[in-house]
Amino acid sequence: MRRNLVRGRVTAVLGVAALTTALVVGVTSSSGAASTSVSQSKGGKSVCGLGNGKKATGSPIKLGAINTQQPGTDFTDIGLMAKAYFDCVNANGGIYGHRIAFTEETESTTAQTASAAAKKLIEGIKVVGLVGNSSIIEADINHKYYEQKGFYVIGAGIAVSAYSTSHFASINMGPRYSSDGAAQWALSKKPDKLIFDQSNVPGTGYNAGGVALIAKKYKVPYKLETDNVPIQDGKSVAQRLVQDAGKNGVVVLNFTPPEALKILQGAQQQGLQDDVKAWACSTPCNTDFLAASLGPGWYGKLGVNAELNLTSAKAPDSALYRSVLKQYGKAVKGGLGSFSQMGFTAGRIATQALLDMGPNATYTAKTVNAAFKAVKDFKTDILCKPWYYGKGSFHLPNNTDRTVTPSKDGKVMVQLQGCFGIDPVDPEVAAARKIEAKQ
Amino acid sequence: MPSWTQLQPFIVTGLSLGGVYALSGTGIVVLYRTTGVLNLAFGAIGMFGAFLSWQLIHEEGWPQGLGFLAAVAFSVVAMWLYGMVFGPPLAQRDPLVKASATLGFALILLGASSWIWSAAGGATRFQPIPTDTHHFSVGEAMVNWTQVIALAVGVLVVVLTGALLRFTRLGTAMRALANDREVSAVLGVPVRRVEAVAWLWAGVLSGVSGLLLSDLVGLDQVTLTFIVLISSVAAALIARLRSILGTLVAGLGIGLVDACAQPFSGISRYHDMAPFVLALVGLLFVTRKGGALAGRRIV
Repeated sequence: MRRNLVRGRVTAVLGVAALTTALVVGVTSSSGAASTSVSQSKGGKSVCGLGNGKKATGSPIKLGAINTQQPGTDFTDIGLMAKAYFDCVNANGGIYGHRIAFTEETESTTAQTASAAAKKLIEGIKVVGLVGNSSIIEADINHKYYEQKGFYVIGAGIAVSAYSTSHFASINMGPRYSSDGAAQWALSKKPDKLIFDQSNVPGTGYNAGGVALIAKKYKVPYKLETDNVPIQDGKSVAQRLVQDAGKNGVVVLNFTPPEALKILQGAQQQGLQDDVKAWACSTPCNTDFLAASLGPGWYGKLGVNAELNLTSAKAPDSALYRSVLKQYGKAVKGGLGSFSQMGFTAGRIATQALLDMGPNATYTAKTVNAAFKAVKDFKTDILCKPWYYGKGSFHLPNNTDRTVTPSKDGKVMVQLQGCFGIDPVDPEVAAARKIEAKQ
Repeated sequence: MPSWTQLQPFIVTGLSLGGVYALSGTGIVVLYRTTGVLNLAFGAIGMFGAFLSWQLIHEEGWPQGLGFLAAVAFSVVAMWLYGMVFGPPLAQRDPLVKASATLGFALILLGASSWIWSAAGGATRFQPIPTDTHHFSVGEAMVNWTQVIALAVGVLVVVLTGALLRFTRLGTAMRALANDREVSAVLGVPVRRVEAVAWLWAGVLSGVSGLLLSDLVGLDQVTLTFIVLISSVAAALIARLRSILGTLVAGLGIGLVDACAQPFSGISRYHDMAPFVLALVGLLFVTRKGGALAGRRIV
């Protein structure tokens, strides 16, 4: 399907160019907000919404999302997969007959486009909820606006404000805590030095804080390095990291997949894989694209923090995720992967919250966002622990992860380490655990 | 302070990348000397060709050799078509207008490739060249044959292009065009034909550069379109957009400075500035000499 899409686009672009030049979740997923009266599962299988096979034709419940889209960075799959899930819900009774009308807006990492997208959705289209937001800057730009408007976003975070503010809760744990998890795995190799390398972009300094604390706890010397992106010379970067780490050191990377690949490929081409004890990477490296690009030779040598379950997991929500992607997700360009898993999970949580409002509810921004905020104990096999929103001034519901590694044949990612908690030496993880203990 | 042993791998990397910068820079210089166009789409055309070959090899199952040939063929056709369609109407315009037009072409190619080969879902791509897996050691550095080829092709192209310009009638015609297009036309130089050859040759160099860089640097749209272009243009500018040999030396210099700055912790994070700084110096130098970008009097 993807190949045909790409082939079609190649043909289209070459055709246009020629013409121009010629002319010139959860085992049960029965989360509960206000109540747990409606479950998105039947006979042990997960289903979309009511799962009754009846097409929803009632008045729409408008939802939306904002995703980054620019050359080299594209998070639209998250919103597109949330839409795919809502399409499946609409084909299965909707929200008690109401259909979900979903609008995805994009921004290009500028404050203007991020702000305009939020205003368009909330004041123009008049959405009553935001589900599947994922952007490099959007949460930082818009979180105060969301607080003013009373919107509680269910998103997939990257920016600091996607975790540290009251009106944004993420399916994933984001780069800081994912880097923590990657560092924990690397430190389990008992290295004598840890090198943490990430992009030299404003705001990423925050991501290094947790790794520094964890390295200190393990009494392992730590060094933070940064590289300008896009990386022009991955070989030199890899060589520098290996020399700095030394034979008994470990290297932890926190980059987008293309940039991480340049470094890992640079290491591979120079035969440097085994010149350190281990390589580790935060969640963005968890793609089969990366495993296939690297090929064999990295099994157990590269540990990648995985905030979500394997896409191939044999469990009810994971099975539904694959089925929805196949039937409704033709627009999801990246196919199976953590991006579409996050969109699916966000859509499923939002659907559960809407169903829990009951069949006679009025769907306004106020009532819908109150339902989102009330989500707690949402179980899904895609996450290690139940997800919740709650009243906290910050949100870190996902703080337990896995570690994956490229398979021995170098084709896909496979699990290397089961669910483990991110070290509470990182203060917000400790604070999140306290909140959870009170629930 | 890194030891000599630690520095050796960076020298190898720097020389291989420098060879490709020289290769690209040579294409830029030849085209500029012949047509007066500073082609800012040089990287984008090579990038698109590299992505196209990835598509053909990894998704359509073409043999690797054919896929690589398709990349070069695309670059040649795209470059030649641009030159033939937009060259004549822009021939009398200011060099800045001509350069801006190529930048527009680069952005179109960048947008199209980002749409076709989207980064959605964390998509990453890599296009290995078979010579990657064959290594030998020089001192403490491991060298693969792709790196050797990158340097060798860079040097070979410089030598061949220099000989072409100096010893052939076509080269003489190219140099005549660089001096004065109208007078050359009056004297019987087949302007369109000579320019077509320059666009074709630039296309070949762009395609080969794109393929080599997609392996050495990575198959990444923005990097191949702009970041690598800056190094290549910097090499061409340092050579005052006229000296092929100077372009080789400058390209190798940029590659070496960029790579060898990596292990110095004090300046490591600024290593990417090397082409910018050297380009700036080159621009100041060219301006001082009478302004290559203000016209073609300098060539």
